[in-house]
Formats: sequence, C-alpha cells, structure tokens
Amino acid sequence: MKNYIIVLLAVSVLTACGEDEKPAIDLEYPEIIATANSFPIQCSVVERGETMQFRASFSDNVELGSYSLDIHHNFDHHTHSTEVNDCESDPVKAAVNPMLFIQTYTIPTGLTEYEAEAEIDIPSGIDPGDYHFLIRVTDKEGWQTLQGISIKIL
Amino acid sequence: MSVTRLTFFISVLFLPGASEAISLMGASANRISTTFQFSSFDSLGQYVSDTTPEIQELEEVVVMDQAEMIRREESNSIQMVRQNFIRENRSGSLMKSLERIPGISMIGIGSGASKPLIRGLGFNQVMVVENGIKHEGQQWGADHGLEVDQFAADQIMIIKGPASFKYGSDAIGGVIDIREKLPPSEDGIGGSIELGARSNNAWFGGSANLFYRKNNWFAEGRLTMADYGDFKVPTDSVFVYDFGVALHEGQVRNSAGNELDFSGRVGYLGKNFRNTLRVSRVSTKAGFFANAHGLEPRQVDTELHDRSSRDILLPFQEVTHTKVINKSSYVAGNNFFQLDLGYQRNDRKEWSQYVNHGYMPAIYPSEMLYPSDLERAFDKEVFSVNLKDELFLDSHELAFGASGEYQHNDIGGWGFLIPAFQQYSYGFYVLDKFKLTPLWQLTAALRYDHSQIHVEEYQDWFPSVEDASQANADDYLYRAVDFQREFNSLVWSVGVNYTPGDLILKGNLGTSFRMPIAKELAANGVNYHYFRYERGNADLNPEQSLQLDLGAELKKEKWLLSFSPFINYFSNYIYLNPTAEMDVLYGAGNQVFNYTEAEVLRYGAELSVLHQLTEQLSFEFLGEFVYSEQMSGDKQGFTLPFSPPPSGIINATYKPLSKGGFSNPYFAVDFRMTAEQANIVPPETVTPGYQLVNLRAGSGISLLGQEIQVDAQVQNLFNTRYLNHTSFYRLINLPEAGRNITLSLNYNF
Repeated sequence: MKNYIIVLLAVSVLTACGEDEKPAIDLEYPEIIATANSFPIQCSVVERGETMQFRASFSDNVELGSYSLDIHHNFDHHTHSTEVNDCESDPVKAAVNPMLFIQTYTIPTGLTEYEAEAEIDIPSGIDPGDYHFLIRVTDKEGWQTLQGISIKIL
Repeated sequence: MSVTRLTFFISVLFLPGASEAISLMGASANRISTTFQFSSFDSLGQYVSDTTPEIQELEEVVVMDQAEMIRREESNSIQMVRQNFIRENRSGSLMKSLERIPGISMIGIGSGASKPLIRGLGFNQVMVVENGIKHEGQQWGADHGLEVDQFAADQIMIIKGPASFKYGSDAIGGVIDIREKLPPSEDGIGGSIELGARSNNAWFGGSANLFYRKNNWFAEGRLTMADYGDFKVPTDSVFVYDFGVALHEGQVRNSAGNELDFSGRVGYLGKNFRNTLRVSRVSTKAGFFANAHGLEPRQVDTELHDRSSRDILLPFQEVTHTKVINKSSYVAGNNFFQLDLGYQRNDRKEWSQYVNHGYMPAIYPSEMLYPSDLERAFDKEVFSVNLKDELFLDSHELAFGASGEYQHNDIGGWGFLIPAFQQYSYGFYVLDKFKLTPLWQLTAALRYDHSQIHVEEYQDWFPSVEDASQANADDYLYRAVDFQREFNSLVWSVGVNYTPGDLILKGNLGTSFRMPIAKELAANGVNYHYFRYERGNADLNPEQSLQLDLGAELKKEKWLLSFSPFINYFSNYIYLNPTAEMDVLYGAGNQVFNYTEAEVLRYGAELSVLHQLTEQLSFEFLGEFVYSEQMSGDKQGFTLPFSPPPSGIINATYKPLSKGGFSNPYFAVDFRMTAEQANIVPPETVTPGYQLVNLRAGSGISLLGQEIQVDAQVQNLFNTRYLNHTSFYRLINLPEAGRNITLSLNYNF
C-alpha cells in the first residue's frame, strides 16, 4: 500500500500546485485595421519627389506598444507580403539606387486604439519600381503583428 | 559483495561473450538480492526489446535486465532505450525515433533533422553525450538538427531531469547519452547491413557495418547513407503569415536532403586495460522550405523548385561534424579508471540568396570575403577530457571525476546572429552511492565548475544609414564588443532508492546550473528567421535550478506501472523576452527581444502502465504532462516557449509465437492523443489537439538459412493534418508530415 500512498501524495502535491490562482495574461495580438483612410494599401502607387502620408488604424485588447515602418525594394520579387500578391509587378531588374526607409514610432502609453500617421519623403533620385511597405505593430506584452504591402513607386 | 560486483563488472566489460554473462549474472543477481552493482551501461543485454522493462522467465528464475538495474540504482528519472526500440521506431532522425518515450518531444525542422526536448526543455538545456563526450554543435538554433548517425546508436540512456552534478553545465534539463555497440565478443569477422525506405519523402538509405576481432584487438567500420526528397503534408496550401503558398502535390518545397556518415574504431581489450579510438564524420545537407526561409515569407520560382522533388536548391544548410574520441579504462584492485579524450569539429554553413535586410546594400559588394549566397557560417572546434575513478568498497561505491573543455568558435557569412567566441571550462565532482541495507540506498554528489568565455568583437560590413554615400565610420556598427566573463558554480544532489521486491521507489533532490551561452550574452542582430532583433545581455548570471524527482515502479504479475512526477524551480532562468519596443539602429525596425532573467516554476509527470493480457497480447498506456510558469519578470504568468502539450499513447501489441520461418513476430498499434496547447507566450499561437494512429509490425524471417529482420511502420495512418506545437515551422502553420510507410531490412552476419 505504501507505494499507492506515495503516488497519491505526489499527485495531490502536483494538483495542488495547479490550482493556484493565475493572473490573467494577455494572449491576443494587436491588429492593423483596414479603414477607408488607410494608406498605403495593397498595390498603392506613389510618386518620386512627393511626400507620402501614411495612415493606419491599430488596436489591441490591452495596450498598444509601438510600431515601425519599412520600405525596401522588391525588384527581385522576393516577398514579405502578407497579402496575396495580385498587383501587376514590373519585370525583375537589378537595383541601382533603390529607396530604403526604416523608422520606428512610439505610441502614447495606455491606448487600446490608435490612429497612426506619418509623413515619408520619397526622394526624387531613387529607382522607380516595385517596393515593399512593411508595417509592424506590437502590444505591451510583446505580441507583434506584421503586415506587408506591395506598392509601386513611379 | 564488493568483490562480486567488481568481478561481474569486469566480466561484463572485459570478457568475450559478455552478453551471455549478463543474463547469467542477472539471474543470480536477483537471487542474491539487488546489491549487485553495474555502474557502466556499456554492456546492456540485447534480449529486451522495448523501452519498458520486461519480465523474462528463465528456468523459473526471474531475470532482471540491466535497464531495470540502472533504474534501481540511480535516483534520477532514467529511461533506457535499446537498439530494438530504435529500429522498430526508426524515423528520419534519431530524436524523432525517440518521440514515443514519455517526457520526450522534439523540435523538428523538415524531415531529416530534429533536436530533443526533455520535459519541455531543449537547446542548450539538454546535453547530448555521444560515446562519453558531450556533443557540441550549434544547439542554440531552433533550425539546427543533431549531428548523430542514428544507425550507429545502439543504446540510449535518457535522464529526464537535471544531472549537472555528473555531466556539468547544460545538463540542467536532462541528458541524452548515446552509446554505440559493444566491441565484438568473439574472434572473427562479422557485420550487419540495414536498408530502408520511407514513402512520404521518398527516403532511401541504409547502413553497413563490418567488424573484426582477433584476441585482444578489434576493429570496426560503419558507412551510412541516406537520400530523401521533399516531404509531403496533407494540404495543398499553407499560409506563411497571411501570404498564401500553393504546394505542388503537397510537397514542402525544397525540404529534400541527404546524409553521408562514416565511422571507424580500433581497440585493444586487455585484462585490466582497454582502449578504443573512434573517428567519425556525419555530413548532412538539407534544404529549407523555400517559401519561408526561416519564417520569412518569400516568393520563389515555383517552376524551378517543382521540377524535381529531390533537388536541394537555395536556401539550404550543410553541416559536417567530425569527431575523434579515445576512451581508455584500467582496472587496478577495486579501482576502475576511465579517461576519455575528445576532439570534435562542427562546420556549419547556411546558404541563401543575398537579400538586403535592413540597411544592407541593395547590391552585394564584390569585395566581400564570402560568396553572396553564404548567409551564415559557424565553425566550432572542441577539445574535451574526462577523467573518472570509481572505487568499489563494501557498502560504498565512490566516483571521483574531473572534466575539462576548450571551445573555439568562428563565424562567417554576410548575416550575423552571434559573434565568434572562445571558452573553456573545468569541473570536479565526487559521488557516493551508499548501500545502507539491501533495500535502501543513498546517493550524494557534489560538483564544482569554473568556466570562462571570451567574446570577440564584430563590426557590421555595411553602414546603418539610409543613404550609404553619406556614411561615416561610426555608421559601421559594432554588434559585439570584446569582453570576458567568468563563472563559478557549486551544485549538489542527494537521492534515495528503496527497492523492496517488486517495487522501486526513489527520490532525488538536487541543484543544477547552466552557464549562459554566447548567444545569450552577446547576440545583437536581427534574426530574420523570426523578424526579431535579439539583444543579448553580457551581465546574465548562470541558470540555477532546484528539482525534486520522484519515481515509483511496480511490477506485479501481469502489470507494470511506472510513475515519475517532478517539481522544478528555477531561481534563474534565461529567457528571450519579446518587448513592445522596436529598434531602428541595431534592429532595422524590428521588435526587440531581450535576453533576461526570470524565475520559473515547472512541474509534471510521466506515467506508463503495461498490462500483459495474455502471453501474446499486451496493452500499454504512456502519458506525459508538463506545466511551466514564469514567476517573475515581464512575462510573469506566461509559460515558456516550446511547451509540449499533454499527450498520451494507447498501445496494443500482439506477439504471436514464432512459427515456420518467422521468429519473434510482432504487431503494434499506437493511438496517440495530444491535447490542445493553449498555454502560450509571444510569439506563439494556440495549437489545436490531434489524434494519430501509427502501426508497427516486424519479424525475423529465415531465408536460405539466413535470418533477416524485417520491420515496417505506417506513421500517421489516416493522413491527418495536424500541427505540432514544438515544430520549427509551427509559427507559419505548416502541418506535419502526412502518411508515411516505412520498411527496413536488417541482416547480421
């Protein structure tokens, strides 16, 4: 019998540990919500020399963290796109002086919804063609949502 | 008793016909109670065919097998795996073959590589030991497999729980100790040939082994080859993040690979002295899923990739692992000395088309040192030495040991994850097994370790500015600065074993440690496998853990029960914490993941129940459960990454009597149930539960007076589409392999 008692003891010890009150933890990713205002969207076209107005709507169940934007060329048609790529792409070509843009942005603390806006200058001397526009947004717990958009710079 | 013990010990280790000696000694050992000691598991009997202990009737004497003896004598939770189990469960990689064992899961990458998880801990928290020497690859990477020839593995001892006191740093989560075959016991020539095929990835392979013994000398050689195509999943498309990828005929594009291994050994087996020198090389080449290099979605030339399911195009990994191990032992009086010397080199290259991530230039500069498709290279050389003296006294068995290791690590390629580093370590330990009474045994151990790591500086080859023409010297970032750290550690362990008759009860309480690795101390770059900027912390302390292991095993008539619960507290656990922060300069706009320290509580258990219904038919249940929770830090309340969900296997095995030309036939059905894993931590997602059915059957078949062992398996009988929570490709929702029929033939001569 001794062994059964020990086994039972072990089981009860383990189950006892399992009954601790757990603090509620956040298991939800932040969201990038498409609205009529969002720009760019899949297949958007921007022109060299102009200032692009980035607008997106973020939300999270608990608290938003920060976001970053990234524009890099897609002349070789590698993809970060998280949307089905149905834009018409230019033929594959070699990059000479492609545009590169990377920036991080903070979101004021305590927000569950945020309308992000940023101005991005598109230099006039860069290679035109297919580009990727990458949006990353985090929440306070470190969940990250990533959205890749194919754009064209003329 | 000590004389009997040592005599047996020597007879097993040194005399020809060792395996017969075991069964005889095993029989008498049970008669003379269990004081019988066997402290090296080199010479396990070959007559038991499963991981579960078996009861063998031999002239009305119950024979206790070696595995059971080890479980009786060791206070840790130990599982022994034999050659037969590996053969019957043979998969694409050794660790995959062990997945059936309760408490063991694995991180799979493709069909040919995987790394072990013991009770949910893996990477550098699980030590793999091959032939006495710690295996050192690039075990920190989730996409790196284990460079071991699965055909050369004869017996595996798995310690489920910390064993730092015996093995040193890294054995904090457990140990997988792989041993090769015993030297031939009789003069003459012999060998074996094993051939196999697998349907899912059109795998063909095999291994041939030849040995020779003359008096005290022996030599042995082995050659293993395998070649496989893309593995198939039961779906025609997957979503890499939200990007839809069509799969040609369900094939995971570019997951083909091949393997070529050889090993040779030569040894001298004297009366008191014996020495074996072993040289081995494992070379593998395996493609990564082309649509997701790491987890980065990519558009690929599908036409090029789908032309053949067997070609390996970019991106792929190539690893060559070379080992030279010399093992010596000497018996003097009641001392048994062992000296192991090892050299190994792990040469790893990851090939991928150049992609200008972050601030890298759009065009790969021609003056670069590396070819444009060499993304990463790791070159590791390790020198190891282990010295041990075992002293057999009346009621004590003492072991004194010392070990030392020196590592030299170089890096290469245009990508950067970890800097180059050098490290050395040494340690000393003493272990006493005290036989209090025939039924009670106490074990105590103490170990001291010292280690030092020297991290080299690393400077980016490109400037981190948007317009490279405006760059100045400061824009070439230092990813790593030159620094040194030293660590000291003292660990202890106490255990008790109580073995009345059919029952084994044991408990072990001990501390364990792990030195932080270079990646944890000095990572400072973007891991484009995961789109994350991983930032090391040079001030991290060693991981510290305290664990209580209990074990109960009852063997009664037709029942065999085994239950092994544990509770484990990490006062310091090194954790890669995803933050809300993004970094532009070093992280190229990616999310920051910091290596931090946290307290962690873990507990769990494995249960196995075997019922021998009739002489031919048996039923078995194997179950495992582990729970982890971070008790402090940013992720308090969250679990740890790669937490295996609870799972169980219900098995029925039918072993009809040998008849006609068939010897020891068996048929087995495994019904595997895995629960949902909702206990997750960023960036994981909830993984649904699943059920699988696997079949195994086999028999020895006499053909023209020769016996051939035939084994067949059907894995995932119903071609179920399921996700494995601990798989590398889980984050991109790539299902696991579909139905797989395997056949293997084994001939010994």
